[in-house]
Order: sequence, then structure tokens, then C-alpha cells
Amino acid sequence: MANANLARPARLRAWHVDTRRRLILFFICLAGIAALSFPAWGGFYGMFVLRDVFIFSVFALSLDLLWGKTGLLSFGHATFFGLGAYALSILSLHLDPTYGSLLGLLVGILLAGAIALLFGYFLLCGGVRGPVFAIVTLALTLIASHIAVNWSDVTGGDTGLSGIPPLGITLFGARYELATPLVQYYTAFTILAVTLFGVWGMCRGRYGRILAAIQDNEVRARSLGYNTSLHLLAVFTLSAMLAALAGALFAGLQQYAALDFIGLALSTEVIMWVAVGGRGTLIGAVVGVLIVTLMKQQVSSIDYRLWPIVLGIFFIGVVFFLPRGVMTIPEVAQKILSGLNGILLSRRRGRGHP
Amino acid sequence: MLGVVIPLVLNMLTLICILMIVAMGLAIVFGLMEVINLAHGEFVTIGAFTLALTQANGYDYWLALMIAPIIGAAIGFLLERSLIQFLYNQPLSTILVTWGVSLIIIQILVLVFGSQPLAVTNPIPGSVEIIGVGYPAYRLFLIAASLVILGICIYVFRFTDFGLKLRTTIQDRDMAEALGINTRQISAIAFAAGGGIAAIAGVLVAPLLVVQANMGMFYLARAFFVVIVGGTGGIAGVAAGSALVGGLETILSTVMTTTLAQATVLLFAVVMIRLMPQGLVRAR
Repeated sequence: MANANLARPARLRAWHVDTRRRLILFFICLAGIAALSFPAWGGFYGMFVLRDVFIFSVFALSLDLLWGKTGLLSFGHATFFGLGAYALSILSLHLDPTYGSLLGLLVGILLAGAIALLFGYFLLCGGVRGPVFAIVTLALTLIASHIAVNWSDVTGGDTGLSGIPPLGITLFGARYELATPLVQYYTAFTILAVTLFGVWGMCRGRYGRILAAIQDNEVRARSLGYNTSLHLLAVFTLSAMLAALAGALFAGLQQYAALDFIGLALSTEVIMWVAVGGRGTLIGAVVGVLIVTLMKQQVSSIDYRLWPIVLGIFFIGVVFFLPRGVMTIPEVAQKILSGLNGILLSRRRGRGHP
Repeated sequence: MLGVVIPLVLNMLTLICILMIVAMGLAIVFGLMEVINLAHGEFVTIGAFTLALTQANGYDYWLALMIAPIIGAAIGFLLERSLIQFLYNQPLSTILVTWGVSLIIIQILVLVFGSQPLAVTNPIPGSVEIIGVGYPAYRLFLIAASLVILGICIYVFRFTDFGLKLRTTIQDRDMAEALGINTRQISAIAFAAGGGIAAIAGVLVAPLLVVQANMGMFYLARAFFVVIVGGTGGIAGVAAGSALVGGLETILSTVMTTTLAQATVLLFAVVMIRLMPQGLVRAR
């Protein structure tokens, strides 16, 4: 009798976890099918919006890899996004377009990696974590946008760079270009899918456990023999390179690069994307981009000056009410309901035993 | 030679003094509660806007200097009571929340006053001759006023009952609580005072700058360098950090562009973190 009672909740729990997993998988497949078939039924405009959402999702994933999986919050991730964007734009404007854009993409990614490695070495190996890491990266993005404004011969200053040739590659004399909206849409989708599965696969197994150990208790992880600073440095560098990839792709598809790509505004919006979607969930990064981007469009269509206020309220609201993102709304609601229920029950009981 | 050196030294002193009073509240709050207040720059903005509005309504500069700290402290107190107090021991959450507050304050200022810069008049125009070299009188006043504020802070920190409780709490929060100090009250007062001092800084720097809603960001990053370089040990750390950051930036600005000078200071601060993780002055 006692055994049966003990066994049942466990079985129920297992069933619960299993259905949850299946549900998530089901929704991901559904979303994938919807995204793949979107050009057939969605509008032309929607395709452009979704293409940008996909690229921004890669950017958000790069931050989620860092913030969600290691707990390090970069407040200046747009530095790397902007680096990728500017490197691609500058090189493809100045070099032969047959290889310029591809070279720009590579240079941007490597440059972002090098800067992250340099700063990361001094900061992470110097024992900087948490809030101080956040403000130094914040300073980094401020300086980067200062440089982008003032170095106007190269970066175009306030006006930015436009007229960038479309991303393309020349293979065996044949030129492939990401010129039509359909090709751009599917390329962006593919890159997002590959990044998502790549990051998921990386954080799934043993390596993910190491990162989780570092996030939970770094001292303990270090005493177990892991060089935690080195792991954090590696993830920071990888994350910066991923952000630069997203930036370069975005500039290549939009065919311009501007100050919005490198400044503090984008740095904080990417934090919001990850926070809204639920940090550390990876798929949440995509959900967050989708929700916040759509919200931004709605609010900006009323009055574009309202958006920063709404964003500010989001920042406060997420921390206080949804610290684990919008995908936990059912859980939070359930908790509130059961809490109410508990209060009611205890009242009733209180009445029964005066 | 003297014509170059004296203005340079005085420019350096001006920047150091500004950084010192802007970073003061930031450093104390950070040392006290490990809270990083990203809305700190907005207190500077609020101070500058107070001045602009006071003058626009026909009142004097000096009135603004009196009421700005009250407004800054009141907003700081409200912020601490309404949001920050629930987030102790969650540094990253505080960063996100104060960032949200900063966005909201900036945008409300833009919505109410427009994005055009506000006009501010210099209360002490003209210049003063120092060993045959002319220097703007207002900047000298700014240096003197900052030193007075610094003096008051040192007095409160070192020689008052509140200062003793504050230092105890910075050193060891749990122990302070065990000794019967109401650390939450101390934190709330320190937060409000930090806001008030930053608002005074806003009034002081407004005549030298363009007064607009996003001006706070201009000083926020450098104030953080001051805290990082100087350490969170209290007023001595702030003074040392300001001297290093402000001095370095002024000297570098004479040989390169301001942007490059600021980038170099950032690099310097980052290297300093590696070499001296505790900052120049250790908390004790």
C-alpha cells in the first residue's frame, strides 16, 4: 500500500516531464513547418520581417549561450554584432565583390573573436564576474559606437554605409548571390536552424554540464579541477564570433551598416530578447525576438517615442514577474492559482478548527 | 610654457572633480549593497534639468543648486523603496531593473521637454587671471564646490554616527546587522544621498555641457571606470580613481582625439582590473 502510494507520484512526474518534452518538440516542429512554408502563404512584407527575426535570433542565441549557459551578462554584445556588420560592409565596398563580402564576413568574425579574447583574458582571468563584467562590456559598446561615429572616413559616421553589394560567393566561375527575398529568407532560416542545433548540441552533453556547474558554483567547479576562467573565456569568444556572424549577415542582407548596429540600444534590446524568452532555454531566444520585435512594431506604429518606455517597463516586469521568461507563464499562473487555492483551503480549515 | 601647463592642470582638476562627485554615490552604493545603479547617470540629468527649468522660470542658479539635491534624493529614495530593496543579493536583476528605470526616465524627459537641448546660462561668466594666464571663473567655482562636497562627504563618512554605521555595513553586512544596525535603513539613506549628490553634480556641470535627456550616459561609463579602478573602499578609492581616470583622459586628449583617449582609458581600466582586482584603495 505504502509502496503504491510512493510509486504513483514518481510515475506521474515522469509522465509529466515526458509530455512536456513532447509538447515542446511538437511546438518546435510546428513552428519549423510554419516557418518553412511561410513564403507560400505569408505576405511579402512578412517574409522580410521574419528574415530579420531569424538573423536577430542568431544574435540572441549568441547572448543566450553566454548569459543563459554561464551566467555572464554582456551589456555590450552589439559591439560584436556591429563589428561583424562594419567589417563586412567596409571590405565588400572596398574590395573586389567576388570575394570581398565573404572575406569581410570572415574578418568580422575573427576580429570579434580576437577582441573578445583580449578583453575576456583581462576580465575573466582577472576574476571579474557578474556586475563588473556587465559594466565593462557596457563601456565597450559605448566606446565602439563613439569610434563608429568619429572614424567617419571608414565607417561613414552618422550616416553609416550603404550600397553594399549583396552577400555572394563565386564558385568555379559561377556567381551565387543572396539577392532574391526567397533565397535570403531560406538562407536566414537555415543559418538559424544550424546555429540553434549547434548551440543546443554543444550545451546538451558533458560540456553543458561543466558550464552549468560553473554557473551554479564556480568555486566548487574549480576545485573539481576545471579551469573555469578558461571555459568562460572560450564561451565568451565563441559567443562574440556568433554575434559577429549575425551582424555581418544582417548588414549583407540589409545592404547597409549604421550606428544602430553597434550601440547601446541594440545591446540592451538583445538582453531583453533573451530575458523575455527565458534565458538558458535557447529556443526562448527565438521566441523572445519574435515577441519583442512584433511588440516594437505595434508600439512604434502608435508613437515611436513610446518604445523606450515600454522597453523599460519590460525590463522591470520581466525581473519581477517572469524571471524565467514568457514560456513559464503557464507555470507562474498555476503557481498563483494554487497559492490562492492554498489560502482558501487554509481559511476553510481554520474555520473548521477554531 | 606656463600658458599651456596651467589650463591643462586646471582642466584636469575640473574633470577629476566632476568624476569624483558623480562617482561618489555610485561607489558607496556599490560598496554597500553590491548594487550597480545604471540609472545613476539620470540623476545627473535630473540635476541639469532642474537648473534649466529654474532658470527658464526666471529664478537664480543658486536656487537650483539648493533644490536639485532634494529632488535627486527624493527620486533616489523612491527608487530604492519601490524597486531596489527587493533585489538585494541579485546584482544582475538590479542591473536590468535600473536600466529599465533609466530608459523610462530618459524617455519621459524627452516626451515632456522635447529632444532639443535646453538652454542654461553660466552664473559666473568671465575669467580669472592665474599667474598671468586667464581661466574661466566658473570652472574654478566648480572645482571649489566639488572640494566642499568632498569635504562634507569625508566628514559624514569619518566623523558622524551615520558614517560609522555606513562603514560598518560596507565592511560586513551580517556583522553590522548582528550589532543592531538597521542596514536596510542605512542602504535607503545612502541610495538617496547618492542620488542627491549626483543631482548636484548635474547642476554643476550643466553650464559646461549640452543639457539634453541622454546626457547622463556621458558620465555613467566613466564613473564606473572610477569605481573599478579606485576600488569600492569608500571616499579615498573614489578620489584615487577619479584622479587616475580624469587625469589620464585629460592628458591623452591633448595628444589624440577625445574618442581615442576614452578608448585608451577603457583599455587601461581593463588592464588595471587584471593587475589590481581590488582597485587602488582596498576596502578596510
